[in-house]
Amino acid sequence: MRQVAINTHISGKFNIELENLRNSVLTMGGEVEQQLINTLKAIKHNNAGLAEKVILNDLKVNSMEIQIDEECLRIIAKRHPTASDLRLIMTISKTITDIERMGDEIERIARLVTKNKLPPSEAIISSMLVIGERVAAMMRGTFDAFARQNEAEALEMYDKDNLIDSEYKKLLKFTTSEMERTKEDMQDWLEVLWALRSLERIGDRCKNVCEYVVYLTHGKDMRHTPLESMQQKLEQLS
Amino acid sequence: MLKLFEHETLDVGNLADQDTAIDVQALNLWFGQKQVLHDISMRIPKNRITSLIGQSGCGKSTLISAFNRLNDLYSGCRSQGSIIIDGRDINHAKENVSRLRTQVGMVFQRPNPFPMSIYDNVSYGLRLQGIRVRRQLDDAVEQSLRDAALWEEVKDRLFEPAHILSGGQQQRLVIARALALKPDILLLDEPTSALDPLTTLFIEELMAELKKRCTIVIVTHNMQQAARVSDYTAFLHQGQLIEYTDSDTLFTMPDKKQTEDYITGRYG
Repeated sequence: MRQVAINTHISGKFNIELENLRNSVLTMGGEVEQQLINTLKAIKHNNAGLAEKVILNDLKVNSMEIQIDEECLRIIAKRHPTASDLRLIMTISKTITDIERMGDEIERIARLVTKNKLPPSEAIISSMLVIGERVAAMMRGTFDAFARQNEAEALEMYDKDNLIDSEYKKLLKFTTSEMERTKEDMQDWLEVLWALRSLERIGDRCKNVCEYVVYLTHGKDMRHTPLESMQQKLEQLS
Repeated sequence: MLKLFEHETLDVGNLADQDTAIDVQALNLWFGQKQVLHDISMRIPKNRITSLIGQSGCGKSTLISAFNRLNDLYSGCRSQGSIIIDGRDINHAKENVSRLRTQVGMVFQRPNPFPMSIYDNVSYGLRLQGIRVRRQLDDAVEQSLRDAALWEEVKDRLFEPAHILSGGQQQRLVIARALALKPDILLLDEPTSALDPLTTLFIEELMAELKKRCTIVIVTHNMQQAARVSDYTAFLHQGQLIEYTDSDTLFTMPDKKQTEDYITGRYG
């Protein structure tokens, strides 16, 4: 593993700029993680007020994305970063796009509560919360892997998406059978399906960030590579 | 698979003879008691731009000067190892150094036009070679100035003194003077460090054009310049060749920590 040592440049100001940039990504990630936790709470307690707060707070996440992107551009223009510094900035620029999209998916899930469209089945809500907890844990682990530049942790998180996908498929099957059974309020059911899909998509976004962590530490673009091949390639590199 | 971007890279570690302009083999060089180059082996590809980078005193100017035996001018300089150019070991005692310096031209950091007219500067080397036919000299001067992207700026004042030209024009004049001798290899030792950024870009553009007809080796302290202009980059540290590969790789994913520390401005 080759960690990018941010604070070893001759230019102290450059060290501070990179450190601030990295910290701002972690702050943005922490914000989105809290958004997911609040959304799950809002679903559990059918708390429209909390869900409304989540929706409003997404503007803050959007603003963070723009500010971090601008800072990346400024550093590229002024510092001409190379090698690991360049990879760090490219990784950050891509990561914040995914984090912002995670925020959008969470907003969509929160709207289920504010629009009073929670599914009428306790079983669906409870399964949704289980998947939500898994996604939140995956998100936390992914941001930890980014913070520590730990590709082993990134690969572990990457693998967790399989479980989320399979649980999502099961829940989708169950939900569609419930839809068939009730055959009422199809519009409301569609909102539920979209929300489930959003939850699953957050896991995919976390996977993307895990791939960026591997790129950051190894300089290899592992996008669209199956986990086994990724592990093999990393073993060859190390 | 659809390829959107084509970046040609040669494996400089396994360069074929026919693709090699300069083959440096186990080169060691001393100034007096001090060894300044340690066991350098590298193959510089033909018709490409190769940059030598590294801290001051790392030996990059000494290495580039070894390619046309300029170090011979310093007493106490001795070397071991071979430098093969055009099938000959130029370090051999019987090497014709004048012929070598025609074949391997050099341009320095500060433009050094001779105290004579623009025309005479460019034709000087040809006259030394014994060419006296006016028409032949005229043609060579025009072609060299065109190749150095200077013709349009000086064609109406060829017989004015060279020192009236700006720094950037003087540097291009010096390049034209080297090109007049139709060198196979052009060595550039920090050719733009005394020039403004715009003039620097003109010289860099010129280099991209010149590599079609000759091999270029450039010493530069400007890493952005090395990344911009060169196809291959060699990083030297304390007289040793640390890493030598295509510039895309060296500036995005260098293999050696010393290279990474240098190009990212970290403590060595």
